[in-house]
Amino acid sequence: MSDPDELLRIEGIRKTFPGVVALDGVDFDLRRGEVHVLLGENGAGKSTLIKMLSGAYTPDAGRILVGGEETRIHGAQDSERLGIATIYQEFNLVPDLTVAENIFLGRQPRRFGVIDRKRMEADAEVLLKRVGVNVSPRARVRELGIARLQMVEIAKALSLDARVLIMDEPTAVLTSEEVDKLFAIVRTLREDGVGIVFITHHLEEIAALGDRVTVIRDGKSVGQVPASTPEDELVRLMVGRSIEQQYPRERADTGAALLSVEGLTRDGVFHDVSFEVRAGEVVGIAGLVGAGRTEVVRAVFGADPYDRGTVRVSGAPLKGHDVTSAMAAGIGLIPEDRKGQGLVLDQSVEENLGLVTMRSATRGGLVDLKSQREAAARMAGQLGVRMAGLQQHVRTLSGGNQQKVVIGKWLLADTKVLILDEPTRGIDVGAKVEIYQLVNELTAAGAAVLMISSDLPEVLGMSDRVLVMAQGRIAGELSADEATQDAVMALAVSTNTVKTEKEAPRGH
Amino acid sequence: MATDTLKGTTGASGATGGLRRLLLDNGALTALIVLVVALSALSGNFLTADNLLNIGVQAAVTAILAFGVTFVIVSAGIDLSVGSVAALSATVLAWSAADHGVPVALAVVLAVVVGVAAGLVNGFLIAYGKLPPFIATLAMLSVGRGLSLVISGGNPIPFPDSVSHLGDTLGDWLPVPVLVMIVMGLVAAFVLGRTYIGRSMYAIGGNEEAARLSGLRVSRQKLVVYALSGLFAAVAGIVLAARLSSAQPQAASGYELDAIAAVVIGGASLAGGTGKASGTLIGALILAVLRNGLNLLNVSTFWQQVVIGVVIALAVLLDTVRRKAGATTPVTSGLGGGGRGRQAATYGLAAVVTVAVIGATSLLHNGGSGSTTPRVGLAISTLNNPFYVSLRAGAQAEAKKLGVDLTVTDAQNDASQQANQLQNFTSSGLDVIIVNAVDSDAVSPAAKAVNKTGTPLIAVDRSVNNADSASFVASDNVTGGKLAAKELAEKLGGRGKIAILQGMAGTSASRERGAGFAEGLKAYPGIQVVARQPADWDRTKGLDVMTNLMQAHPDIDGVFAENDEMALGAIKALGAKAGKSVQVIGFDGTADGLTAVKAGTLYASVAQQPTELGRIAVRNAVEVADDEKVAKSVMVPVKVVTKENVAGFTG
Repeated sequence: MSDPDELLRIEGIRKTFPGVVALDGVDFDLRRGEVHVLLGENGAGKSTLIKMLSGAYTPDAGRILVGGEETRIHGAQDSERLGIATIYQEFNLVPDLTVAENIFLGRQPRRFGVIDRKRMEADAEVLLKRVGVNVSPRARVRELGIARLQMVEIAKALSLDARVLIMDEPTAVLTSEEVDKLFAIVRTLREDGVGIVFITHHLEEIAALGDRVTVIRDGKSVGQVPASTPEDELVRLMVGRSIEQQYPRERADTGAALLSVEGLTRDGVFHDVSFEVRAGEVVGIAGLVGAGRTEVVRAVFGADPYDRGTVRVSGAPLKGHDVTSAMAAGIGLIPEDRKGQGLVLDQSVEENLGLVTMRSATRGGLVDLKSQREAAARMAGQLGVRMAGLQQHVRTLSGGNQQKVVIGKWLLADTKVLILDEPTRGIDVGAKVEIYQLVNELTAAGAAVLMISSDLPEVLGMSDRVLVMAQGRIAGELSADEATQDAVMALAVSTNTVKTEKEAPRGH
Repeated sequence: MATDTLKGTTGASGATGGLRRLLLDNGALTALIVLVVALSALSGNFLTADNLLNIGVQAAVTAILAFGVTFVIVSAGIDLSVGSVAALSATVLAWSAADHGVPVALAVVLAVVVGVAAGLVNGFLIAYGKLPPFIATLAMLSVGRGLSLVISGGNPIPFPDSVSHLGDTLGDWLPVPVLVMIVMGLVAAFVLGRTYIGRSMYAIGGNEEAARLSGLRVSRQKLVVYALSGLFAAVAGIVLAARLSSAQPQAASGYELDAIAAVVIGGASLAGGTGKASGTLIGALILAVLRNGLNLLNVSTFWQQVVIGVVIALAVLLDTVRRKAGATTPVTSGLGGGGRGRQAATYGLAAVVTVAVIGATSLLHNGGSGSTTPRVGLAISTLNNPFYVSLRAGAQAEAKKLGVDLTVTDAQNDASQQANQLQNFTSSGLDVIIVNAVDSDAVSPAAKAVNKTGTPLIAVDRSVNNADSASFVASDNVTGGKLAAKELAEKLGGRGKIAILQGMAGTSASRERGAGFAEGLKAYPGIQVVARQPADWDRTKGLDVMTNLMQAHPDIDGVFAENDEMALGAIKALGAKAGKSVQVIGFDGTADGLTAVKAGTLYASVAQQPTELGRIAVRNAVEVADDEKVAKSVMVPVKVVTKENVAGFTG
């Protein structure tokens, strides 16, 4: 209160949900012109905390002070009035409206009751210039890539004259180039006096961007440290113990090729993709977002059709565009979009774990629910899924535990070839390591793992071989020894000039 | 699980605590109990064994349809075709068994196969044709209804006796429809809970893409889901028709909405992924209890619809509020008291509102219900038509004059609903029942049941077949039709082309008027009937059908509409031609019709005297109640009204 630079102060916040204490005594404060990083494992309570500030939840106990005055935030209008803007991981944009309409949604400038398009687009242009993004205010949001969506969200926050900007894992879905751009914008905002609450799982970003760090563990704020604190110390604060090795890859003996892909082509999407994955091997696929990695693995799994080429599992050719035969051959896919494609969010842990094995557990049309339950209990125990019980809905699990459930359903089906698409996106350090251990166990047991990741250290740390994709083609293959960040990036941005069917430039 | 045991030790309430939790966990069940308590308090006739069984019978068809729809809604689809498919299956059963001598067992199988086939077509269009479920089943709604009209030729087909047993009672107390409802409910619960297809429904409804990527054959499952819905619809259709002893091509129209309402009241989400057979049963029971209770309480039929709408909204609201409370109220911590108090207050408020609404509406129309005055029930086919509104006015005026307590119900042209209302009349122990049948054949099982109780029955406007009625009060439709033919033919000078707008296919009034008209035309060979199309007694449809007919036959000289409403629609379509180059004749002599006659756009109307019908029916009822002799048949004369004599008629 004495500090005129203080924008926001939270004292002793407590929030409970049925069966769970989400927050219990969290303190936090934010000054003008600083980037304050919120650090914590998934499920530690970061999201709950920012939802209190955006008005989605109200606290059970504790105080929120904005500009030195105690306030209650009861909804989006309240937080907007107080100058607090939030950019969630899932963007709040209407796909079929233009950029300008999205920025001024609900507050479009009007003249005689009619929306003044000219003024709206001019205003939007100014805001977009301020965030340094080259996009037309008249473009439809549907046509924009993720990085640009985020810039539009930031422009929207600026249009509200936000003094407090909350960013929930803004870098999780960006390529490193886009991250640099984002950081530049955040620094400009900081100079303009905006206070920024920044959530991230990437520890290296803290030193690069942050000023102060508040660490939250199990719903409590366990410490406030300067951003220059060493990473080991931050990890120790965050998980309550130190993690010896971030990428604990244990290489297994490689056997025969389990998955062989030859000349796989889907016109206009990916071309002439060939590779193989051997038993006991982890093959990483690196590349920029939009390089066609996800499209290739979905085609391999039969989720999408392809035009030419063959997919063989243990030498036997696989029918295209048929998930069932891919499954029968022993392929499993952990999709990129965990919530949208991996889980039935409003079903229980037990039901989600049993989804893949349900058919084989069916006799004469009846599902053997007892064996399904036993299998689910065994798998949940084996993976260490932290939950209130098998009946808990997966929606209420943290990201890391949700991902364990997705992996668990494939483990139950005795999967030989497991395809992981961004397996640790949005997952905290502790849970990441647990997932890497699982990968180790799988390969040790003779399975083959194909892993897409945009997290370069992860690809380099976990893969035995790295395939790099660029513009729908395999740009090169690197052994674990050859694979360095520079080598991978060089391949990832390489353009194949011989190529005839070129993707539309994405405007870098 | 762990939290439960913890709570058990702290809360010493034991059994009552468990009950309370059950109620708090199930908003629809709470709503049902509140309704039952409220209705028991308001009506002494409600909580009797007979009446409760009646409610079961009345809920049966909706519940069976709704069980099928539950499958579809759980898998995030919608099925609008179930009412039509039910009617189609029933029609196929009656048509094959009664008209073509197929053995009954085989005919039942055939009916079920038809239902499944309709469902498969829905499923195919949705799963492989990628049509939105709303559109695919909307198309089937129309196709199913149309096919049942084609097969039956628009006429109700009486059921063979052996099938009608399905509508009877077992061991003299358990009605077969209730039994079928319970069996189908258990089947639905079993399918949803234990089978592969059932578990797949939840996964597909919860997240179709995740289900597909987990190896579920989503398209194939959808085919089965809609086929199951069709199967349940077929069973519902057979039960419905068995209860009426006849297959009505127009039966069960609009039932799809009741079924969907039942499923949603029962706690399912239209977004898919949730829903239970038990919830659906409760939803169907809530609707049935409400209709039954409002009949017993003598609530005006117009207000009934308002109350039903309010209760549907309240029931779902209660459930939403409960879920919201459940999501934010802590269970384990000691802070729970406030939240639970708020929840209890919500339930209390909902209960008070329900009782107040029902109480208020029943008081509005209850008047003085002294025990000495005779109590008479009047079951009207529809009040969506000025003719029957006049009939009711006449009845009410006469009742007031004679000091009779008159209860009026409106079946909305639905034979099954009318059967329910007759059942409810006998439950509330009326002295005499007057029925204006939706259909003369379909009403007979319900009328027979009334005969059994010894309550005298009087038929008005339409006869009651295969049952005893103390008196039949009606206009002479056949003569009216003949008069209309003569009048039109004379006006046209014995030659010309005419079109006929028919009433709702399958109704006796349409058949009789049409037959009379055809007979009357025999004397005029110069008159050529170029088109004969149904417009369902409805003015808007009359307008549409006439517009279309004019495209095909721009040169017609005359129109016979089987009622005034359709005639007025036709006049709108004809525009300036009406009364000039094209002569229109209507039937009924309603106020609007007579105004048109005065204006010259309607050449003539064959006037019935609806107020007279109502008046005489009530007078006869009172005489029957006093054990006086009444005429077995009272024919209220019809009269052709033209511009010349219209003045004398309106007065």
